[in-house]
Order: sequence, then structure tokens, then C-alpha cells
Amino acid sequence: MVQFLIKRFIGLIFVVIGVTFITFILGYFAPGDPIRGMLGNHFIPSVYLSLKHSYGLDLPWYQQYWHFLTNLARFNFGLSFVTQNRPVWDILKDGVPVSAELGLWALTISVLVGVPVGIVSALKANTWVDTVNIGAMLVLYALPAFVLAIFAQLVIVWFDTSTGNTWPVSGWGNPWQYTLSDLQLKIVPILVLAATEAALYARLARNSMLEVLRQDYVRTARAKGMRERTVIYRHAFRNAMIPLITIFGLSIGLLVTGAFFVEQIFNIPGIAQVSITSINARDYPVMQATVVLLAIAVVIGNLIADILYSVADPRIKVA
Amino acid sequence: MDTEDKDSELASPGAMFPDSSMSPLIFEEGVAVNGAEAAGQVQVLPGQRPQKSPTPLRDSLRRLRRDKRAMISLAIIVLFVLIPLFGPLIYQHIGGTYQSALNGRIGPAQYHNPFWQELTNQDQLPSSMYWLGTDAIGRDILARLMQGMLVSLAVVIMVEIIDIGLGVLVGVLAGFFGGWIDQLLARFTDLMFAFPGLLFAILLTSIFGNSADDAFSHIPIIGPNGNARLVLVSIALAITIWPLMARYVRGQTLQLKEQQFVEAARTAGTTNVRIMWRHIIPNLFSVVVVAATLDMSATIIGEAGLSFLGLGVQAPGSSIGLMISDASDAIAVHPWEVIVPSVALAVIVLAFSFLGDGLRDAFDPRSKD
Repeated sequence: MVQFLIKRFIGLIFVVIGVTFITFILGYFAPGDPIRGMLGNHFIPSVYLSLKHSYGLDLPWYQQYWHFLTNLARFNFGLSFVTQNRPVWDILKDGVPVSAELGLWALTISVLVGVPVGIVSALKANTWVDTVNIGAMLVLYALPAFVLAIFAQLVIVWFDTSTGNTWPVSGWGNPWQYTLSDLQLKIVPILVLAATEAALYARLARNSMLEVLRQDYVRTARAKGMRERTVIYRHAFRNAMIPLITIFGLSIGLLVTGAFFVEQIFNIPGIAQVSITSINARDYPVMQATVVLLAIAVVIGNLIADILYSVADPRIKVA
Repeated sequence: MDTEDKDSELASPGAMFPDSSMSPLIFEEGVAVNGAEAAGQVQVLPGQRPQKSPTPLRDSLRRLRRDKRAMISLAIIVLFVLIPLFGPLIYQHIGGTYQSALNGRIGPAQYHNPFWQELTNQDQLPSSMYWLGTDAIGRDILARLMQGMLVSLAVVIMVEIIDIGLGVLVGVLAGFFGGWIDQLLARFTDLMFAFPGLLFAILLTSIFGNSADDAFSHIPIIGPNGNARLVLVSIALAITIWPLMARYVRGQTLQLKEQQFVEAARTAGTTNVRIMWRHIIPNLFSVVVVAATLDMSATIIGEAGLSFLGLGVQAPGSSIGLMISDASDAIAVHPWEVIVPSVALAVIVLAFSFLGDGLRDAFDPRSKD
């Protein structure tokens, strides 16, 4: 177990270094001189040099990368290019709780909906329930988040115009508060973001359950005369859940990319939206910080999945 | 019939509840008449192939032909290729001349041009003049949609060339030789899995987008009309997609190289290069086709997504993602303009992923989902 953890941890460090290096080097080779851009028409050589120094851009690339890494370790993401002298973290920090809230609710709902749907589908395999479930899952899984989000908005618009209601199309209430108006704003984006995930979990839960139900120990349990409920919930369900852990990391990745579109479409002030704003302003440090933060979230998700997996199934020692 | 069809396709390996009421297979010139049941039959008895199967490939194609959903998807994909290539040629000759308040007398060659702005005809619903209506600055939506499909098609082709080329090359080398190539591939795929693909593409296109505009905009065909970034978009998407292809190819190569025909070839003194070229790569066909089809769906989503975020096709140009993004500002007032490109995108994407699933089931009926 310890050996396994060490191995995974080394892998994690490699991935973090890789992600940060790619992010850094892309920013390093980014065309244009950000300091010149900042100065605009007021170009004074001494100011230029001192600014360049304060941003650390006069150093060779490996020293810049080292600074980038050590600063990251201290949660210091550097200074923004566009809003001058404002630390990147200052720009991002308001978005973090919003994105975390959106992501956590979406993840929770997708597991709570997806897994039962998949299990029911497996238990009723080849009936109309299963067919309907599978059809819905395939469609939800294949459709990109921004198409789902647009469809959801269309439904809201239609609902508003046909009933005279004023259900809001976009926006986000106060983070982690759930008054009626907050809920109205939050529920649709969360469901849209959860949809793809739920379909993923449901598909896997169904296949995993079908696989387990064919195993000898399930047949044995049935042969002993056990009640069907006990067979399913004691013997089959627990074992069927193990493979689901492996897609936890993948599902975090889906959440992160989905958030880019959901936050943009529903005008939610999370870090993905901040990142898109910074893309349009060509503010590379903000973008780099967002990418690194989100990639690290995915890496940690993968690590948690690995650990849970080895806990859930003691046969797995070293992946 | 339709529900039965879906059941048998989607059931997992050796489905729990084999349908015992299946009617017998009726073969006619290699085509099964009773589609769904036949597919079920193959799956219920894994390992046992129908007696008269000329070659595995024809066998697979026959299974595919019986898969209604896959065949409908295939038809949609054929339309997706034909419409953007030939549609505009026809559409720009349909319709009478029109007395425009701003532009004088214009014919369909103008108002059915995806870039033509007829400012007096903004936000129109479908009519005999504009088959799918017009957008906020009076451009024909059908013409823009066909142009957008052409963009998707071009990106799919560029991405697949890189995807299949790199994926097969690296995958075969990694699977066949193992060693450092394999290690490198494993590390690289780990990295790309941790780095959500779209995030990387967003980073790359946002940083180098303007440079790509400068570099490519003067090149004919790919450059003008805001399409200059498509090369960059394709490269970005290909970089995120190919490791998965390489993984599939590697896995298949590992199995193939233990097969007897490879051993026989080696005994006969065949060189490694020749073994890979003549014996391994041809046998990768099914794996590559399935993976490529599913990648195409991901590529179309990726391009539309990047264009939606303003990182792909630029202003005068048209892309399905850009159309959705432009129209989504006025979703409450003119929902029609959002519905057309979204539905088109949804249909195309679903067609590719359904065809991919169908191909996978047809090539390997035992490994369903």
C-alpha cells in the first residue's frame, strides 16, 4: 500500500511538472511583449527595464520557470499583465468558491442520479425502462455541454413566455446560499453540468452491474435461497461500484471543461469565466494560473480515485 | 421493432437476459433479413461465428448493415459531407432577384452567400427566400450553416490525418518494441489525461491565435474569411486526441504480436519493419476505424466549442460554434437563430458517436460497451 502510494505520488509529481511546464512554456513563447503593451505610447526605456525586472521577464527561461514553480507552491500566481500590479490570485479568488460550488453540486447530483439509474437499467435489462434510460444516457453523454446549456436556456425562455413567469436565464446568486432566488439561478446550470457526468456514471454503473450479476458468487448467493434484495444490495451492488471509482478522475476533467461553457453561457462568475475574460484581454498569467489550478484539481481527483480504488479492492496493489 | 433493435445492440457482454424468443436467422446473399434478432444471436453465443462467413471484414460489415441506428447515422454523415460541398453551389442558384433597398437588384448568388449582409432583412424567420431565416445582421442562416459544416469537415480531416498518422506510428512502435518508446507514450498519455484536452486547446489557441491570423490569413482557401486559425485549432485538437488513439493501437499491437502469423513471419526471416507494415498495421483496421469515428465526434465538438469561446473561426467567417455564440445573445428574442445551429451540431455529433458505437459492436460483438 505504501509502495503503491509512493509510486502514484511520483507519477503525480511528474504530471504536475509536465502540466506546469507546458503552461509556462506556451506563455513564454507567447508572441508580443506584454511590458511594451502595458506602456503603450509612453515608452520610457528605464521604466520598461524596471517593469520587466519586477515581472521577472528579464531572466532566462529556466529561472523564470523555477520562479513560476516556487511561486505556485506558495500559492502566488504572479502579477496580471492587464490590470497592472494586481496579483493574479486577487483576480481569481472570488471565482474559486463559485466554481467549487457549481462543480461539487454537479458532481454530487451526477453520482446520486447516474448510479441509481444505471443500476435500475441493469436490473431491468432489455425492458422498456432500460431502453429509455440507455437512449437518454447516450444522448446526454454525446451532446456537448454548450448545446445542452443552450437548450436549457431555450426551455427557460419558453417557460417564461408561455406562463408569464420570470425565471432568470443567467446569473449566479450568493455563493453557498440557497434562498429561493439563489436556487432559481443555480439549479439549471448545475443540472446542465451534471447531465454529461450522470450519463457517464449511469453507463458505467449499468455495465458494471450486468458484469457482476453474471458472476458465480451471485449465482451461488441466489442458489442458497437468499432474497433477491439481499443478493443485489449485499453481493452485487458493492462489487459493481468498484470500477466506478476509476472514472472519478475522468469525471473531474469533464466537469472542468464543461464548466468553461456553462459558466460562460449562464454568466456565472467562476474561474472559468475569469479565464475567458483574461483570454480576450490576452492576460496570460491569469490564464496560466487557471489552467494550472484546474489541471491540479484533475490530478488530485485521479489520485483520490487511485487511493479509493486500492482501498475498495485490496487485490489491487500497484496500478 | 425499434426497441428490440436497441436492446440487442446495447446489451453488455453476453447479456444477462438472452432473449429466448428469437426467430431463426434468415440469410439472403449475405444480408440478414431479420436484423435485430440476428445481432442478438451473435452476441448470445460469443466466439461462435455464423457458419457462412466469408471474411471477418464482410462479416462485420453485414452486422453493421443490420444496425439500424448506425446506418441512419451513416446516412446523416454522408449528408454532412455532401451538403457543405455541393449545397452552396445549388443554393446560390435558387431564388429570384430581389430589389434591395441598400444594394440594388441582387440575386441568390448574393443573398445566399454566407458572408452577404442584407441589413434590411435582419432576424427573419424561414421563408421561400431564406430557407432557414437570417441572423442578426441579415445573413442567410442556411448558407452560414453550410459554411460552418464545411469548416467542421475541414477540421475533422486535418485532425484525423494527424491523429491516425501519429497514433498508429507511435502506438505500433510502442506496442511492438516496448522499451523507452512505450515508457514515453505511457508518460505522455498520463499527462494528457491529467490535462483536460479542451483546456490545453484553449490555452494554445488563445496564446497563438493572433499569430496564426497573421501567418495564415494571406494563404488562399484556408486563410480568408476568418478561417486562418483553423490550422491552429486542428493542431491543438490533434495534440489532445492522438494519445488515446496510440493507446488503442498499442493495446491491439500487443495482442497481435503474440499471434501465430507474426511468429510464422518471423520464422520465415521477415524483418521487423515488414512485419509491422504487412502483418500488424492491416490488422489494426477495425480498432483505428472505431477510434477515429469516435474522435471525429470529439473533434467536431472541440472545434465548435473553441469557436463558441471566440478562439476558432473569426468574425466574418462561419462556424457552427460561432453561430451559436452569436445568436445566444438574443436567445430570448430570436430563439430560432440558436435552435438551427444547435440542433445541427447535436445531430452531427450524435451521428458520429452512434456510428462509432455501431462500428465497435460490428467489429467486435463481444466487447460491447
